[in-house]
Amino acid sequence: MAHALRDKAAISGIGETAYTRGTTKSGLALQLEASLKAIDDAGLSPRDIDGVVPYFPGGGIAEDFIANLGLPDLAVSAFVPMGGASCVAALQMAAMAVATGVCRNVLISVGRTGYSGARVSTRLQQFPQFALAAEFEAPIGMFAPAQLYAQGARRHMELYGTTTRQFAEVAVVTRRHAILNGNVVMNKPLTVEEHHASRMIADPFRLYDCSLESDGGAAVVVSASDRARDLRQRLVTISGVAEGHPESPASIAQRPDLLEFGLAKAAPRAFGMAGVGPKDIDVAEIYDCFTFTVINQLELLGFCKKGEGGPFVMDGRIALGGELPINTHGGLLSQGHVVGLNHVVELTRQLRHAAGKAQVKDAELGLVTGYGDMGDGSVAILRRAA
Amino acid sequence: MSTVSAATPPVPERPLPTPTRDSQPYWDGLREGRLMLQHCAGCGKVRHYPRPVCPHCFSMESQWRQAPLDGRIHSWTVCHHPFNFFFKSTTPYTIALVDMAAGVRINAPLRGMAESALKIGAPVRLAFEPVSKDVTLPYFVPG
Repeated sequence: MAHALRDKAAISGIGETAYTRGTTKSGLALQLEASLKAIDDAGLSPRDIDGVVPYFPGGGIAEDFIANLGLPDLAVSAFVPMGGASCVAALQMAAMAVATGVCRNVLISVGRTGYSGARVSTRLQQFPQFALAAEFEAPIGMFAPAQLYAQGARRHMELYGTTTRQFAEVAVVTRRHAILNGNVVMNKPLTVEEHHASRMIADPFRLYDCSLESDGGAAVVVSASDRARDLRQRLVTISGVAEGHPESPASIAQRPDLLEFGLAKAAPRAFGMAGVGPKDIDVAEIYDCFTFTVINQLELLGFCKKGEGGPFVMDGRIALGGELPINTHGGLLSQGHVVGLNHVVELTRQLRHAAGKAQVKDAELGLVTGYGDMGDGSVAILRRAA
Repeated sequence: MSTVSAATPPVPERPLPTPTRDSQPYWDGLREGRLMLQHCAGCGKVRHYPRPVCPHCFSMESQWRQAPLDGRIHSWTVCHHPFNFFFKSTTPYTIALVDMAAGVRINAPLRGMAESALKIGAPVRLAFEPVSKDVTLPYFVPG
């Protein structure tokens, strides 16, 4: 019997602001701007929103949405505090809310001044979930995600022979896709040589292995599929969705396997709910906080075997026209960093066949991941409904 | 009336640990030049970082025991960008993640080993660096 949540919820609206480095707008203003666009895209009025799942921490809260959008009867407000895994995991919460009839239309949104506001070096230690890292790792000089994830990347290289050339491929292909998009922070071509020449941040990560600090906002509206069918846009359903949490969730260092994280648990659940496997996926938007995390996730998702993520990304396979086009919008590496909600926006666009020059031909089934909070994982499989 | 002095760069502060009731014995141990690790009083398993409950048998009773200082490299990173400007003067610095003989993993700076000598399994030994009256931090040297 099909899972009770399979295809019961749909992404009815998508919205995003311009992605920039430098803005005078507040994070909340960016979040609301993207929200209004998503609501309008769905053909809804702000008054139709009765559930909100804003990104936390660092954005609007339920009260802000009631005050700014005049929501007459908010039925559910929730946070999904999983760092970069939050936005895709929020799809699960929203899907449950609309499939059960508790809500009609749930708004998931992010607004961020990651460039003109608080930068990455100061952000991490303010989160309660990083108390362990702040106590034991920050004093020895380990406090930025680039440093913390670098040890996993190094171990992968040592164990499996993964190379920085393969890291570069992810960065270069992602940049090529970004240029097709237009609404991106980085709009000039990137070569493998430029990647290799960029300054070292935390070995093995160079500058172009790291996602952007940027300003921007994104939002999606999740509605019950039977209602969304009557709305403005082509129906894109949430076919499977799941979140997963690793062992030693607050410290990568203490995790039995540095390379095994929450996505390993989430992936089989999401594929099971959707009733499909990796071979059925036409396009994937993979959370790219770092080039290497894309490689590692492709393994945990089952697109290739453990240790084979490096060779998998080569030879045009992850580029448009390849076997598994990924990050067709430019991702966090080249488009902008709005905690991965831009990946959900793009996948929805792909399945509406509205992705312009970056459109994957005849895309029917797509996958999007979230990755964050030292290893939490989330994954959604979206389907273009017949 | 207050006076405004000419702008001088702020002196960056070293991030220091804030020990908790659960972790205090670990920090006390480092200050005394010992690696103290938490062992479950119920099933005997060692755990790190310190926490109130054993995740294996759920006992809330534990004992702190002195552990040997030797271990082998599990992974590492060489930090070039300081992120926190306190560390600017010491970049690049190597942080090694080490599988301790005691059965836990410890992350700490590794000094005195060339980058070309870094490899998984290389033997290292924990050492102690007092950084304030109350706080001593761990680092590794070749073992």
